[in-house]
Formats: sequence, C-alpha cells, structure tokens
Amino acid sequence: MAQAPFTNNIKTLRFLADEMTQADLGDRVGVTRQTIAAIEQGKYSPSLEVAFRIAHVFGKPLEEVFHWQVD
Amino acid sequence: MSFREKIHWVALVSLILGFGWYFTSYPWATANTLDGMLTSVWMLIPTTLIFLVPMVIGSVWFAIRTPKEANLKEDEREKMIHLKGTHAAYYPLVIGVWANIFGLINGLNYGWSVNILMATLVSAELVRVGAQLYLYRRGY
Repeated sequence: MAQAPFTNNIKTLRFLADEMTQADLGDRVGVTRQTIAAIEQGKYSPSLEVAFRIAHVFGKPLEEVFHWQVD
Repeated sequence: MSFREKIHWVALVSLILGFGWYFTSYPWATANTLDGMLTSVWMLIPTTLIFLVPMVIGSVWFAIRTPKEANLKEDEREKMIHLKGTHAAYYPLVIGVWANIFGLINGLNYGWSVNILMATLVSAELVRVGAQLYLYRRGY
C-alpha cells in the first residue's frame, strides 16, 4: 500500500499535550482511536476537515502538524 | 480492534457457519426437481437461525464489553472501508445474476436457480465482509 505523501507530528504533539492518548484525540476530533492510529502511521490520509480538527486540538496551524514530503 | 471490525469478524464466522451448513447439507441430487426447490426454501429457516444466533450473541457481547464504541457513528475512514467493501461485492453479484439468467434461458430448473442465487448472495457477502476486514487490518 502506498504511504501518504506527507508525514505528521501527531504522536509528538500528543506526547507534549500531557501524553494525550489516541482515544482522547479521537474523541475530540470525532473519529475512532483506530483512525487516529492509521493517520499517525501514514496509512490513511484524513479529509481536510479532520486534518484541521486535529490541528485545532493542538492549537497549531495545519502545516505544523502535517508536512508535505517534497520529492 | 474496533467494534465494527469485531462485528465484521462475527458476520464472517456466522456466514460461514450458516451457509456452510446449507451448502454441505443440501441434497444436490434433487436440486433439479420441485422437491429440490422446496427443500431450499425449507432449509432457509435453520440457515437463517444458524446465521443470526451467533451474529446477535456476538453483537450483544461486544456492545456490552465496549458500549462507548458501540454507540459511535461510523467515522470517515470506516465509511470509506464500508463503501470499498460494498463496491467489491458488486462484481460477484453481477456475475451470479448473469449466470442465473444464462442458466434459466438454457432450461435450468428452479431448484438450481434458487441455489445459484443463494451462492451469489453468499459470495457477494463474503467478498464484502472479507474486503472490509482486509482494509480494517491494513489500516485503510
């Protein structure tokens, strides 16, 4: 399976946010824990809405959470 | 493993149990007679029970163990998995329907026709549930 063409800092940001769990983040974003895990591992590319919601939970702009991988 | 993935595993096992029993117990020698068709119809009752009982027990069991997850709506990833699985199931469904039409035109009796339709439905369900489980396991 092709990896998403971008990486993310979600794991680090969760750790810095009082070691927030994937389940907690999922609850706040409105997705399941498994979906957060898939996004973190680059297995699933979230919709723009979910990406913005994740960034909003951490109080960061989108580009600080997700990074486009330049060829 | 998410609640929905567990339910899909239960559905897969239930399908295999219910229709596995049906296809292995069906008296194939009589399939091309009126009795063959009536036997099919009659056998649907225990088949449905064998399919439904583990399905209901499994769903209730997992809902009691993880009530919070059981009440969650499908999120976007789960919706996509759902759609992809349904899309994959379309192909065996079309092939089965065409096989049935071909059979009926060529003088296939109702008993065989009912069984081809049943096999079509079961194949489509197995592909749907199997594809969804594969996608759940893969992450997407």
